[in-house]
Amino acid sequence: MAVEGEAGVPAVSASGRRRTRLDLTAPALLGFPVVWLVAFFLVPIAIVAAYSFDIYSLFPGKHGFTLAAWRAFLHSSVYLGLFWKSVKMSLIVSAVVVALAYPVAYYLALSGTKRKYVLLLVLIAPFLTSYLLRVLAWKVILGNEGVLNSFLVWVGVRSRDHPISQLLYSRFAVMLVLTYVWVPFVALPIFVSLESLDRRLLEAACDLGASRWQAFRRVTLPLSLPGVMAGFLFVFIPTVGEFVTPSLVGGTSGYMYGNQISDLFSTGFPDWETGSVLALFLLAVVAVLTAAFARFLQVRQVTAH
Amino acid sequence: MDVALSANGKRVLRIFFGLLVVFLYAPIAILLIFSFNNSELPTFPLSGFTLHWYHQFLTNADLKGALETSAVVAALSSVGAVLLGGLAAAALARKRFAPKAAVSALLLSPLVIPYVVFGISLLLFFHAAGIPRSILTVAIGHIVISLPYTILVLVPRLDQIDVALEEAAADLGASPLQTFRLIVLPLILPAVVSAFLIAFTTSFDEYALASFVVGTRITFPVYLYSALRFPSQLPQVIAVAVVVMVLSLIVVVSAEIGRRVAERRLSL
Repeated sequence: MAVEGEAGVPAVSASGRRRTRLDLTAPALLGFPVVWLVAFFLVPIAIVAAYSFDIYSLFPGKHGFTLAAWRAFLHSSVYLGLFWKSVKMSLIVSAVVVALAYPVAYYLALSGTKRKYVLLLVLIAPFLTSYLLRVLAWKVILGNEGVLNSFLVWVGVRSRDHPISQLLYSRFAVMLVLTYVWVPFVALPIFVSLESLDRRLLEAACDLGASRWQAFRRVTLPLSLPGVMAGFLFVFIPTVGEFVTPSLVGGTSGYMYGNQISDLFSTGFPDWETGSVLALFLLAVVAVLTAAFARFLQVRQVTAH
Repeated sequence: MDVALSANGKRVLRIFFGLLVVFLYAPIAILLIFSFNNSELPTFPLSGFTLHWYHQFLTNADLKGALETSAVVAALSSVGAVLLGGLAAAALARKRFAPKAAVSALLLSPLVIPYVVFGISLLLFFHAAGIPRSILTVAIGHIVISLPYTILVLVPRLDQIDVALEEAAADLGASPLQTFRLIVLPLILPAVVSAFLIAFTTSFDEYALASFVVGTRITFPVYLYSALRFPSQLPQVIAVAVVVMVLSLIVVVSAEIGRRVAERRLSL
């Protein structure tokens, strides 16, 4: 061992020395996980790319490299329109989720409540239960003959013949359920960024004559923006390609881009070439977003060494 | 003066917090109520107390089969994810190598891939490779998506441990394996357990990916999804939902508390 006989050396410098030495066992440790991801993650995506360029095809026959499916996609108002619709829905959901989560995170981090970690766990716990079952709950609540409508009829607000019919199977239902599903999760990064805020900065601002509102706007809000950005992306990235929630509560008006991808592979009329193009386009958008905003995604503690 | 919040501001935010908690738990509470409701339809007014739906799902062979399949898939994939994640975390936390940024980007990239894209990718991959869809194909996919979570749990814990301990063990003649078994593993055990639980629950609950690569033995979420199309099955699905949600809440909350207690005890 390189550090043998240096027991008195402080831990920091010992580990520092350890880390500066090139270690030959790194490839041995990384071999299995990296091979696994190459085989079952990168290669499958490469096969999707091969389908999108017609190098592979679902139907036998002659095929070779062609951009036909890509060209058709980029000229198709249907697919691109659906993509923009999904982007818009997802942006609204992300913004609403952040707007709901921010005050709650602020309360937990800065109000001085003693039980903030217990309350945080209360907030996050629903996120850790089954996704599908939380969507199911809303299906039960929003249906024409569901909990909400039957309740309104029961208390006499609506008549049985005129339920509020736009509740389930609508764009609204999809956005409501997605908001419900993601709020607890997003409170976390915002809480972390507010929690690490140095309160002395706020005291200094107030000493210098700032009101609470000014101190919030000029000090707290800018310093918590990384958490807000992270939260926004944590919602936007998975929801823009969402297909499970819209297929359960969306009906036709809540149909999203992800549903189109799924349907191109699973209906009676599969079109794997077009589906591959749609999938790769979504993947490219998400990859660009992730790369552009990687510094907000708080994975530094893993990559910083 | 409190610089962050006025007394009124605090009151308003406390009420807001309360309302949000109601919003989050009301749907779960409604499921709980209607799981005991003696009616085919989940509608008001309530029509009396029954345990019929619980009894019905306990005797439902398809449902039990799906739960068993999911348990097997979750066990396989969580063990796989923790093993692979442990190796990767050890390399990321302890070793120095040139393409570390690229390797960690690859290891964490399954976090951001849309599941519909990954689902069809695996579908086309297994199709091209001639591998029939089965519980193994689901487990393979679940290992990929759970792997980043296990790494994100294990790396910070490894960082907390003083490397000098491992070096001292080596100085005293322990082999790398002995050092790991006697020094490192006991110290990271709480994190290993929580990584395992995260991977297990992720797999047990996963529908989107499984829907593309599942074989004839379907997993619990795939069963649930198909059951949702039949209104007659709704009441017992609600009963199952309540059981699964309550169990997972208990597991997750006690695991989190257990991890905190254990790590406090182990803190150096």
